[in-house]
Parts: sequence; structure tokens; C-alpha cells
Amino acid sequence: MFRERRPLFPLFPLKSIQSSIAFAFSVLILLTIAATSLFAYRLSVNAVERNSKGYIQEVINQVNTNIQSYVDNMENISLLAMTNKDVKYYISSNSFIGNEGRRPYEKRISDLFQSILYTRKDIASIMVFGYNGRFVSDRRITTLNPNAKVEEQAWYVNAQREGGKSVISEPHVQNIIQNEYRWVVSLSRELKNSDGMTADGIFLVDLNLSVINDLLSQINLGKKGYVFIVDGSGNIVYHPEQQLIYSNLRSEQIAEVVRAGSGTTFKVEDEEGKRFYSVKDTSFGWKIVGVAYAEDLIGYKSTLINFLFITLGGVAVSLVISVLLSRRLSRPIRNLQRNMRKVEKGNFDVQAEVTQMNEIGQLARTFNMMVGQIKNLMQEIFDTHENKRKSELQLLQAQINPHFLYNTLDSIVWMAETKKHEEVVEMTSALAKLFRAGITKEQELVPIRIELEHITNYLLIQKMRYSSKLDYRLEISDSILGCKTLKILLQPFVENAIYHGIRNMPGSGTIVIRGMETQDGIVFEVEDDGLGMTEEQLEKIWEAPDGEWKNGGIGIRNVNERIRLYFGQAYGISIRSELAEGTCVTIRIPKIEGSGGMG
Amino acid sequence: MRIQRFTVGMGLLVAATALFLVFYFQLYRGGSANEPRIAVMLKSTNVRSDFWQTVREGAVAGVKGSGARLEVMGSLQDTDAAAQVRLLEDVLLRKPEALVVAPIEDAGVRKVLARIREAGIKLVVMDMPTDPDLDAVTLSSNYAEAGREAGEIAVAETAGAPRVAVLSDYESSSVSAERVKGIREAIDANENSFVGTFYSENDEDRAYVLATNLLSSEPDMNAIIALSEPAALGAAKAVEEAGKQNVVKLIAFDSSLYEIKLMEEGSLSAMIVQRPFNMGYLGVRTALKLIDRKPVPRMTYIDSIVVTRDNMYSPENQKLLFPFR
Repeated sequence: MFRERRPLFPLFPLKSIQSSIAFAFSVLILLTIAATSLFAYRLSVNAVERNSKGYIQEVINQVNTNIQSYVDNMENISLLAMTNKDVKYYISSNSFIGNEGRRPYEKRISDLFQSILYTRKDIASIMVFGYNGRFVSDRRITTLNPNAKVEEQAWYVNAQREGGKSVISEPHVQNIIQNEYRWVVSLSRELKNSDGMTADGIFLVDLNLSVINDLLSQINLGKKGYVFIVDGSGNIVYHPEQQLIYSNLRSEQIAEVVRAGSGTTFKVEDEEGKRFYSVKDTSFGWKIVGVAYAEDLIGYKSTLINFLFITLGGVAVSLVISVLLSRRLSRPIRNLQRNMRKVEKGNFDVQAEVTQMNEIGQLARTFNMMVGQIKNLMQEIFDTHENKRKSELQLLQAQINPHFLYNTLDSIVWMAETKKHEEVVEMTSALAKLFRAGITKEQELVPIRIELEHITNYLLIQKMRYSSKLDYRLEISDSILGCKTLKILLQPFVENAIYHGIRNMPGSGTIVIRGMETQDGIVFEVEDDGLGMTEEQLEKIWEAPDGEWKNGGIGIRNVNERIRLYFGQAYGISIRSELAEGTCVTIRIPKIEGSGGMG
Repeated sequence: MRIQRFTVGMGLLVAATALFLVFYFQLYRGGSANEPRIAVMLKSTNVRSDFWQTVREGAVAGVKGSGARLEVMGSLQDTDAAAQVRLLEDVLLRKPEALVVAPIEDAGVRKVLARIREAGIKLVVMDMPTDPDLDAVTLSSNYAEAGREAGEIAVAETAGAPRVAVLSDYESSSVSAERVKGIREAIDANENSFVGTFYSENDEDRAYVLATNLLSSEPDMNAIIALSEPAALGAAKAVEEAGKQNVVKLIAFDSSLYEIKLMEEGSLSAMIVQRPFNMGYLGVRTALKLIDRKPVPRMTYIDSIVVTRDNMYSPENQKLLFPFR
């Protein structure tokens, strides 16, 4: 988890929170918009596809209706011919009409056909071929193409095969009339005798293919869309690019179309583009197919364009909003940052403004608290320092207590007058050592051995002054001699013991100084068997405002404070005293080995 | 953990950007059609010329849906080189993106075409054998191959002993020269099979005279290959008059209603028919590809179809022989 990882490239190279937030917002917005766009795009595509399918269906239904009407018309004409008596007589196998008598029949039939032809521009020709070798057409004089055998024509053969039912041919070139080669769709049917059983001939109506061609070529299914027709077995009846299909330059989905049912639509997507095929079956076996290209469909593209503009606009607006929002969000943070900079420069009086109760507001409050605490701590440190300095000064004063000095010098003078040379030497050297111990050492902590030496010198001087009135004993265990202690720690207590405990008592007094190791550290005891104190006196000592015991000595309280400053609250002084019994001062300090130190 | 989240974030951002780019380009691809113009120069704009009218239909079919605009033009007569030069000069002024041209064989036409190409108009040449001088993208029937097919039919029809006369149009025509080359390739394996090439200059009467003379001077001649419609009609008339329909097989190039009738009668054994629709269609398609700077082959052959009496009314051949309009 805490393995150091460095990104391959700075993935998030933005330094300020504002830009990070802006970036995050932008990503979010872009994603949302992209997702919505995709969704809406899909929806619109589906809608367009649905619409286009409906549109093609409608178009081919229309085509179907039109073609159907042509076919119906041909059918009606054939019915007309079928029921016409003249036609029946004329082609009847057992006809009594002789060769001479057939002219009026021919004329009447021809007139009938002609009148039909006048009303129908879509019909190319109407003909009847009798099995008796006679034939009539819509024109008076008809020369048949001698090289085209009527009996071999597909429409003739098919009509014979169907035996009375009408047959629609594929579009073909009608070549049975000499010098005429017209593209037509033929409807043919076998004509029955009046008995309804024997066949007498074939009736033929030709529909001009141009009618269908015009119809289909007028249909607009977009720029590339088109309509084509196949027959039931998949042969192309009509296709705008039939020639290309025959020469394999173009392919058509014939197989799919043949498989598709009437009224269905299927989608084809290949290198030619996405397109929809709608198939409609006619009643006479053809399949009309409408093809529309997706890209052609109106609305498809314009929808997309609108869509893109809206999307781009949305992105632009949301980017601006995200920048503004991120600025607004990061403003309190920037304010806080400014305040922190002031603190950096040392101004601890700064208070951040707490305007909102959100995370940043809480942060500002915590910051304020922190700054306050730092300020207090600094004050405390400052005070502690001050106190230390004061106590050191007092220590120095204690050391060079002028009364003590005068008294000692008086004693030396007195001893010199009484010519006690040895004592003078002894006392003077002790005094010198006493002062050297206090002044020369810079460090606060000294080995107990040195402190012991110091107190010994002090006691030596006092003993010389008070001679038999003062007795003392030093009981310091050897194990602690190397340990460190505060310097001149014991002297104030010894001094107090002498001046307040022993000096004013009637008999002689003894001071015992003990030093021993305990579980928690080192304990010194300064015990005298002097006057002792009442409880009130004891309390007063602690309460002494400037910490003085009496006559300018160093205060107990100050010493206690000094110990605690150095070693902590667990250490210090306790006093036990009883009137007329004596006083015992206990000093606790930690055990600090000689070489080590508190620094 | 932190970095992974950022990676995911960056990935999503990239994905979103990609999505938008796709949208953008799809739109632009559809919308950037600036309607290129394609000029199509036919050899003849005569409405009676089925061949060139079908080429025009093919061109119209080829341009459909591409967004390009088509301008079809041509001289009335397919021999009027001066008119074609004039029209080409006009094309040079109007500067369409591409020109699909069936050039009349003429030095003047060639010069203008060179200038048109220098002007940066994409050039597609149709209905002409490859011309090393012009060095343009060419679409044409494979004339030598068509000639070979005609020769092979002659060999088959004469039971392997052909004696063939060729009725050509002009001596200068490179198309005809190619066809003759093909015919010779097919029949030269047979001994004494080639009578010669005779030039009717697209004149039916002249062809008739040539054929009549040949029928009398070359009694063992059993096949005539006519390289043009007038030649075929003249030859057919001569053969009919000589009463040699069953002896002298006639093979013709291109089709017309008269030739179809001759074929129905049985006077014409076979027709070698080009596919003019495909020529127009592919010409325009090639031009569109050139405009889009897509690769195109230097030479595209359009196959020819052999039509005989038996298959002349098949659905495919009906479409070829009887252009519908």
C-alpha cells in the first residue's frame, strides 16, 4: 500500500485544486453528454429507420396498385375478347365461316380491338391467334414476321400450358409483327370454344413496358434509392441497372428478396452503404422491391447536424459553468491558504474567516484553533525560559549570599587574630572551592560527586563557625556518585537547616544528608534535629510569594520549580517537619547516568 | 489506488473525445460533397445512334447517387472531328473535374485532349485502343479479342476450312486494325484462309460492290466478316443477290435493327456486340474514382458478346440488342 509508485507520465499535472475540479467536472460533463448523445443518436436513428421503412412500404404499395391496375385492365380486355361472339366464331375450329366470309369478321374484331386501343394508351397491341391458322390484330393489315414463329413464343406456349388462365410474361421484345420490335409485357390466355372444353386459340394483349418504366423511374426514394421487380423465381423483371447486373458489374440481393415475404422489410449493409429493402408481392407473381439508402433519407443528416450543434453548445456552456463552479468552490481554500502564508511569516494573530459550515469551514476553524494553540505554547516556552533564567540568578545570589560571606570572612579574621593559622588556611581554601564550584561550571548538571564536594566545603565552613553547636553527617551511597544532579541543589536546604533549625536552639544540632537510589530515581534527604516548624509555618514556606524562606535565602518553591523544569512534574521536594523535633526535606530527582544526559 | 482512478478517468475522457470525433467526421464525410462536374463526350449525340445513346444511359446510371453533375455532349456525326475539337475547347474553358471522352481519331482531337490533361482535368478515354501518345486511363472493348472471337466463329461455321474476307471501314482506323489482327490470329492456323481486307469507308453501296466483286472473283470464299454496320448490310445484300446465303457465312460487328432482321432471316451468322451501357457506366465510375484520387487501372476492357440466332432473344441479349427508351 505504501509502496512508492511513480506514474509513467504525469496523469494529473494540474497544480491547483481549481483546475483539478474543473478538469473533473469537464470529464464528468463530457461523459454525461457523450452518453446522452449516443443514446439520443440511437433513438433518432431508429426513428428514421422506422419512418423510412414505412415510407418505402407506402411507395411500393402505390407501385403495386398501379401495376395491378394495368394488369387488371389487360385481364378485362382478355375477358372482353373471350366473351365476344365474333372472335369465337372466327377462331372456332368448326367454324362455318369460309375464307370469303371472314373479311367482315376480321373487320369487326379489328375495329373492336382498335377502339379499345384508342382508349388505352398503355396497350401496345391486341391479337388473337386461332388454332385454325387465322389471326386478327388491332390493325387492318398485319404482316407477321416470317422469321418469328408464333407457336414458339414464350407467351404462346405458357398460355397453352395454363389452359384458359391468363399468363403474364416477363418484359420482352415483341417481334411477331414485321419491322416492329417493342418492349412489352404480354398477357396471354387460351380461348375456349363455347362448350368450354376445346381450345380454339390464343389471345394476346401487350402492355407497353414504357408505362411501367415511366412509373418506376419517376419514383423518388432519395438520391440513390430505386425500385425493382423480380418474378417469383428470382428473374429480374425490371431493374434500373439491369445491364450492369447481367454483366456482373453490380449485384442485387435477389436471393434475400425471393425469401422475404410480402410486406416485409430487411436491412442490408455492405460497401455500397446501408439500405432498406421493402418487398411486396403482387397478385400475379411478381415481387416489387423498394430500396432506400439510409444516408439519403431526409432528416437523417439534418437531425444529426442539429444534434451536434446542441451537443457542442451544451459542452461549451457546461465547461464555462464547471470553471466558474470550481473557482467558487476553491475560493475559501485559497483564502485559507493566504492566511497560512501569513502564519508562515510569523504572524500568529491571524484568524481565518469562517463563513460556511462545510468541510472548509471546519478546516478554517481547526486552523484558527491550531494557530491559537501555537501562540499559547510559544508564550509558555517564553515564560519557562524566563523562569529558568530567574532561578539561575537566584541560585547565583544564594551562592554568594553576602551575609554568609561577611560572616565567614569575620570568622577568618577572628581566627587570624587568634593565630589559628591552620584553621584560617582550611577555611579560606574551603571558601575558595565553594565559590569555584558555583561559578566555573557552565553546565546546570554536575555529577553528585561534585555536588557532594560542594556541600562538604560548605558544611566545613559552617562547622568552623559554629564549632560544637553543629554536627553533620553525610550518608551518600557510592552507587550514585557518578550520577548527575542539578548543581547547588542541597546548599539552600542545609543553609535553612542551620539558620532556622539549629542556630536558635539551645543545644547542639546535627544535620544528616542522605543520598540513595530508589526505584524511581535518586532521593536526597536533608534532615536536622532542630527547632522544627508548625504546620502554619510549613504552609507559609510554600506560600512565600517571592519564594524566599527568610533573610534573602533561596525559596523552597523556586527550588521545587527548578527541579520540575528540568526533570518534569514527577520530581520535586517534600518537607516533613515537627515542632521541636526537626525537619526533613526530601528531594527527588531522576537517575541520570554520568556519561548520558538530558542534553 | 489514486493513480488507477485517474487512469480510468483519463481513459474515459479519451473515449469521450473519440466518440465526438467520430460524430464529427461522420457528419463531415456526408456533408462535404461539393458536386464535382463530369463532362462526357460521346462520338455522336445522334438519337438514332443506339450505341451512343446507351453509353449515355450508362453514364447517367454511373453518376447516380454520387453527387456529381453530368454534362453529356458530342458532335452529331461520329466522323465530325472538327465539331469534337470545338466541343473539347469548350470543355477546356468550363473546366469540369473530369472528362470522359470517346475521341474521334484525329490529330486535332488528340492535341486538345493533351491540353485538357495539362489543365488538370481528369481524363478517361473510351472506345479506343490504347494510345501510347495520349497515355490516359482507357476503357474500351478488347478489339483484338473481339476479332479473335469473330474469327473463331468463322472457323466453326465453315467446318474448319475458312476462307475469310474482311470488310473494314477505313484504313486509318486503329479499332478496325486491331479487329483484323484478332481475326488473323484465329484463322491463320488454317491454310489459305485469308482473302484480304477491303475498305468500304462506311458506305453500304461501296460494301455491296466490294462484296459482289469478291463473290465472283473468289468463288471459294465462304465467310465475310464485316467490321461495321454499312459493310454488313452491303455484304448481306450482295450475298442474297448471289443466292449464296447458305454458302457464305456473314459475321458482323455491332448491332442494328437491320442486322437483327438479317439475323432473324438467317443471313447473318453472328454479331459481335459491345456493351455500350457498361462503357458509359464504367467511364463515369472511373472518373469519379480519379476525382477521389483512388487508384484505377490504366486499361479496362469491356467484354463483347457473341450473339447468334439462337440466343438473340435471351433476356440478357434482348437488353443489349434492343435498347429500351
